[in-house]
This record gives sequence, structure tokens and C-alpha cells, in this order.
Amino acid sequence: MRESVGLELASIEQLFDTGRMAVSAELRAQLSQIAPVVLAAEQILPVPDVFQVLLPGGGLQRGWTLHVSGDSSARALAWGLLGGVTTAGGWVAAVNVPGISLAAAQEVGVAIERVLVVSSPPDAWAATIGALIGAVDVVVFGAPNHRITPSEHRRMASRSRERGSVLLELGSPNPGGYDAQLQYDLSFDVQPVEWVGLGEGHGCLLARELDVTTTGRRIGGRPRSGRFALPGTNGTLEHLGEPADLAPVRTLRPRAR
Amino acid sequence: MSSPGTRVAVVWCRDWPVVAAGIPAGEPGAVLHANRVVASSEAARAVGVVRGLRRREAQQRCPELAISERDLAAEARVFEEVVSAVEAFTPRIELTQPGTCLFDIRGPSRYFGGDRALTEKIIDSVDQVLDGRTSTAVGVADGVFPARIAARARATNPTIVPAGGSPEYLAPLPITLLDRPDLTTVLWRLGLRTLGDFAALDPADVLGRFSKEGLAAHRRASGLDDRPPDAVDPPEDMTASMALDPPIERIDQAAFVARQLAVQLQERLEARGSACSRITIEAQSEHGESFIRGWRHEGALSVAALTDRVRWQLDGWLNAPPAVRPSGGLSFLSLHPEDLLPAAGRQLGFWGGETEADQRAGRAVARLEALVGVDNVQVAEWRGGREPDDAIGLLPAGTVDLAERQIQVTDERPWPGRLPSPSPVELFSEQPIDVADARGTPVTVSGRGELSEAPRSLCLDGRTWKRIVAWAGPWLLDERWWDPQRARRRARFQLVDEDGTAMLAFVEDGGWWLGGTY
Repeated sequence: MRESVGLELASIEQLFDTGRMAVSAELRAQLSQIAPVVLAAEQILPVPDVFQVLLPGGGLQRGWTLHVSGDSSARALAWGLLGGVTTAGGWVAAVNVPGISLAAAQEVGVAIERVLVVSSPPDAWAATIGALIGAVDVVVFGAPNHRITPSEHRRMASRSRERGSVLLELGSPNPGGYDAQLQYDLSFDVQPVEWVGLGEGHGCLLARELDVTTTGRRIGGRPRSGRFALPGTNGTLEHLGEPADLAPVRTLRPRAR
Repeated sequence: MSSPGTRVAVVWCRDWPVVAAGIPAGEPGAVLHANRVVASSEAARAVGVVRGLRRREAQQRCPELAISERDLAAEARVFEEVVSAVEAFTPRIELTQPGTCLFDIRGPSRYFGGDRALTEKIIDSVDQVLDGRTSTAVGVADGVFPARIAARARATNPTIVPAGGSPEYLAPLPITLLDRPDLTTVLWRLGLRTLGDFAALDPADVLGRFSKEGLAAHRRASGLDDRPPDAVDPPEDMTASMALDPPIERIDQAAFVARQLAVQLQERLEARGSACSRITIEAQSEHGESFIRGWRHEGALSVAALTDRVRWQLDGWLNAPPAVRPSGGLSFLSLHPEDLLPAAGRQLGFWGGETEADQRAGRAVARLEALVGVDNVQVAEWRGGREPDDAIGLLPAGTVDLAERQIQVTDERPWPGRLPSPSPVELFSEQPIDVADARGTPVTVSGRGELSEAPRSLCLDGRTWKRIVAWAGPWLLDERWWDPQRARRRARFQLVDEDGTAMLAFVEDGGWWLGGTY
């Protein structure tokens, strides 16, 4: 009797200690039901479906540091990425983003009642970011009055990994400077392609098309890319396809309405 | 268990937040918290300024309204004068909130010759302190709830409910006095309109249908002891105390100590799985004077609520009139929990309501305000307007309730002359640019809105010129001409330069300006 108990214990220990699941299909099915699937999903912040092609794993993982670069249209992408977080009840803080336009954020799907706009003097900048990490889901920052040193960046990144916030830096890449040494989980590079709707003295801006390339250590080998309309002519966000499949960057010319 | 409550007297000062804000008696005034009226003066109520109104609505009903933001610390500090006047009659006084205090009346009433004689003396003495700023009312009954209702009765002052008469006194009163809107609306729909109707129900049925909270309300409505049925007296070792060396004399030091003590007490309570609804704060000055005051709360006191009450009390003692102020700094402080309840935690809303994320954001706002200043932490507010910087404004986050705020996202009202979406993603103010036609001469717009020539090139920084590949305009805007401060007369353009950057530019006061980039 005792030996049989010992045998069972040994098999249970094997199951949990080594992780080798030499168990029946029935038990496996039960295990899949009790596995903490919800917990894993909670680590992912939702992102609108159109951007799925840019992201490994279908969302922004808590603790990541992101970088969005390009001209001002980069902000359109940044707000577009954050739309899903705010509509799901999460909070976003924007620290030292000059000329912030929440009307534009709202148009690409951000629930602006859950956006905090913070302006911080240079000497309180690190403390401000530190206070926001863990308290809001995404911290967006531009750094117009402050150069972030690599060590400061590493500290922020490790703190956000620990507390589960996403850091998103807005800015243009600075080749050869400190930015080159910084490691981002994802880096989005935004290139404007075309504006639709504006002619020579007639029409008005309707749709913005841009190419986005994602690099970074979470992407692995081949960068992901896509062409998007932010917004499209009907006011929604659209994924138009792979830039390589479409025509090479077209000269800017008005399209007939 | 079904004993009537102990006989207590409640001393209540009318419209205390308004009085503490320094609004003179007889003038319309209101105190706001998170943009909503929380208290208003008699004169303001007469013209319809009631609790729950927004600032704008209140000002609309009463343009000469004096408005003040709620400052609970000041309310508690000013109220200390009243409490010390009452303290001349009886030593153990408890506060529920600034403006209301209560004490056990049996002993002092025998000494001063009856409930009526004592309460009349107290009213005289408090009115002297108040000096006409507001009036005070006293209610005496068995139990805190009936005494509080009695104090607010307008017909008589003092209102004395005879011993054992609380159930009869409460029976004909409306059920909304329970101040539990979610419960009383259900009871109202069930046809229970008075406290007596509710009290007539079997407690077991009430417990079955409305659980513990319902039972507590039922006990109140029945005029029973409204100490929670599961409250127990704590063992002596729960007291959190601290010797202060050097003695504290300033309120900023007191706030720091208050927080430390509250956390210490909370840790001890948590270790037992308890929470407390009543605390006694005791302080000793360096010259051996002793000060004791109790604070009572409806539910369990959180750390923040404990800290606030300790801070208010210390503030009150340290800033009291010279006659009752400690003659030296405070050298010893202790917090003694009175009624221990099982800590039930806090249930968060399932749909809507305040979520945990909102709470965290609210705490972060408080911390940031200390760090970067109140005006530098902002949230959005829909305002409406024709220009992108008008439509959505920013206001300090500390002035609104983050969880209850609902921004109206789609404005149905038309704003003729507004540019269609998309909006610029980056806005600029006061940024001059140059725009030239094919010959290089500046492009102008006449007073009638006529363009001199088609714009062909633009210069953002005063040095490099860029070709304009697409443009449209001018769209004229002439708004608020009646208001010289906010009037705007401009001609707007959308321009796309050779790099593919789309811009909103406008001509105003004879010059070109950059409004934003798309």
C-alpha cells in the first residue's frame, strides 16, 4: 500500500518538477483549462486590429519601451496605437509633449477622458516619469528640454518592466548619438507617403497615408512594415498592405476625390 | 443586541463648510468640490443653489454667488473653537465630520440639571463663539442616528426626544433620511415610504434580502444602537503611539507624524484582519497638558481617512485660540481604535463606476501635483470651437473627479466654418512663417478674402524655402467680434510642402502664421 502511494507521489513530482507532461490526454485537457490564460492576456495591452501586422504577439506587452520616430505624422501613429488601451479603461499620460492636440488623438480612437497631460520642468522630469510608471498604463514622453542619458533610460525601462507600464518615446532618431545605444523593445519609423484630397487651390486634406517600419529586439530578424491610412478617406484607420507590394513611394500628387 | 442606543447629544452647526470658507452670514455663498456644489448658504439656497449643481449652473442661478473650494482641513481647524466651547461642559467629545460633534449626555445632564437645561447652556455658549456666523442646533435622543435627525429638525431647538422614544420619533419620517440612495430607492419602489414602514419588517428578512448593510440601515430606522452589530472592543495593545522628540509645534510636522501613526495603526489592525470605525486621538504637550478627542466614521476608516482626521485634529489644537491652545509643543501622540470591525475590503464596480485604474490615476495626479505644480497636470475638457486649439481645452486635473468625468465626445451642435477632420497633430502658437507666390513676392489676402496670387513656396525658419505642392484656401473665419479679447479674424489655408508635410497656416494681422502640422 505504502509503495503504491510512493509511486503516485513520484509520478506527481515528476509531473510538476520536471515539467515533462507524460500524462493522459484527459489530464492534459484539464490542465489546459486551469492554466492561467487570463493572466497572460492581462499582460498585453490591446491595440486596434489594423496595427496587428506591426506587432509580435498582437498587442503591446506591459513593461515594453517603445520609440516612434518620424515627422509630426509619427504622432498620429502613436495615438492610433494607444486608442485600444484607453477605450479598454486604461490611462495614458503624456509628459512634455509640445503642442499636444487631443482633438487629433480623439479622431484616431483615443478616449481622451483618460489622458493626463503633464508638463514637467527639467529637474523634476525623472521623478515625474517615475511617479507615472505603475500608475498609468502608458507613459508617452517627448523630451524637448531634457536629454535622456542611457543610464537614465535603463533605469526607467527596468522600472517599467517591474511595474508593468509601457513607455513610449516620441522623437526623431539621432544616429550616432545616445539614441543609437538605447535598446527599445519596438521602434516604429514613420515615413509619410501621400496626402489625399488636397489639390492646387481646391479640396481639403482627407486622408493621410504613411509607411511604418517596426524594428527592435522583440521583432527578431526581418523588420515588419505596413502602409496605413491614418485616417482613411472614410475617417477610419486602414491597413493598405505591404509597402513593397504597393507602388514605390509615389510623388505627392492630389488624388481625384 | 436589540438594546436602544446610548443617549447622546449631537451639536450641529448649519452650513459649516460655508462658514469655514469665511463667507459672511446672510450673503449667498457656495462651497465646491470637483466642480460640484457641496454646501451652500441660506441666502444661496433661497435662489435655488442646492447641492450637486455644477459651478456654471450655480452661477447662472445666482450671479453674485461667492464661491470657494472645499478645504476640509480649514473646516476642522475652525470647528475646533466650537468643540472647545462644548468641552467646557463635558470632556469626551466625538466628531463625525467638521461641523458635527456628539457626546454621551447622561452624566453631564444629571450635573447640569436635565437635558434641556444643559443643551440650552451649550447653545448659548456655542452661539457666543460663532458670533452670528451661523446658528447651532442640538438634538438629544437614544442613539446617534436619531439624535442627528433631531438636531436637524427645524421646528424646535434643542430637540429632545424622550428616553425610549426614538422609534416613535423616527417612524413618520421619510425613508430618504437614511442617506443610502441605492438602498432607499429600492425600498421606495417597494412601497416603504417612512422609516417606520421599514422598521416594521422582520430583521431576518431584511438581512436575507439586503445583507449586512441593509440590516445596519434597519437597525438605524428602528432607533436601535447603530454601532455595527459585529463591532467589538479592541484589546488594549492596539494603540499606536509615538513620543515626539523634539516636540512638534508646526502643522507641517504634524502632518508627517499623522501619516506615520495612521500607517502604524493600520498595520496593527490589518494583522488582525480588522478595521476600525472610531478612533480616539490623544496628545500631550511638553508641559503635561492632555488633549483627547474622538472621531467617528460611518464605515471603516482607511489610512488616508485616518491621516486626514489626525492631521485636522492636530491642526485644530495647534491653531486654537490662545486660551485653549497647548502651552508648548506636542510631545506625545497616540491613536486608540474604539470599535473594531472585520475588514471586509472594498468591492469595486463591475460595470462603470470607479475602476482600479481610475484610482491609481487619481493617486498619481495627487503625487504629480506636489511634484510639478497643480497647473501642470491637466486633463481634457470638451469646449467646442472652430479652431483645433479651441475644440478641446485642458484644465487642472485636481479640479475634477477623474472617475465621474464623462467627456462628451461627439458634439452635435454645428460649428460652421470648422475645418473637417483630420485635425493637426501638433499645434503651434505665435509661429510666424513666410509664404510667397511664383515671383517670390509675399502672398496677401485682402479684406474681402481675395488671394493676391497662388502660394508657391514657404519658409518656416527664415532661411530655407520649400516648394508648395498642394494647397487650398483661403477659408475665412471671423468670430467673437464682440469680444475684443477673444476676437479672431483670419484666413486659413492647408499647405503641403515638397517633403510631404501638411500644415495648417493662416493669415492674421497682415502676416502668415503656422497653426499646426498634420
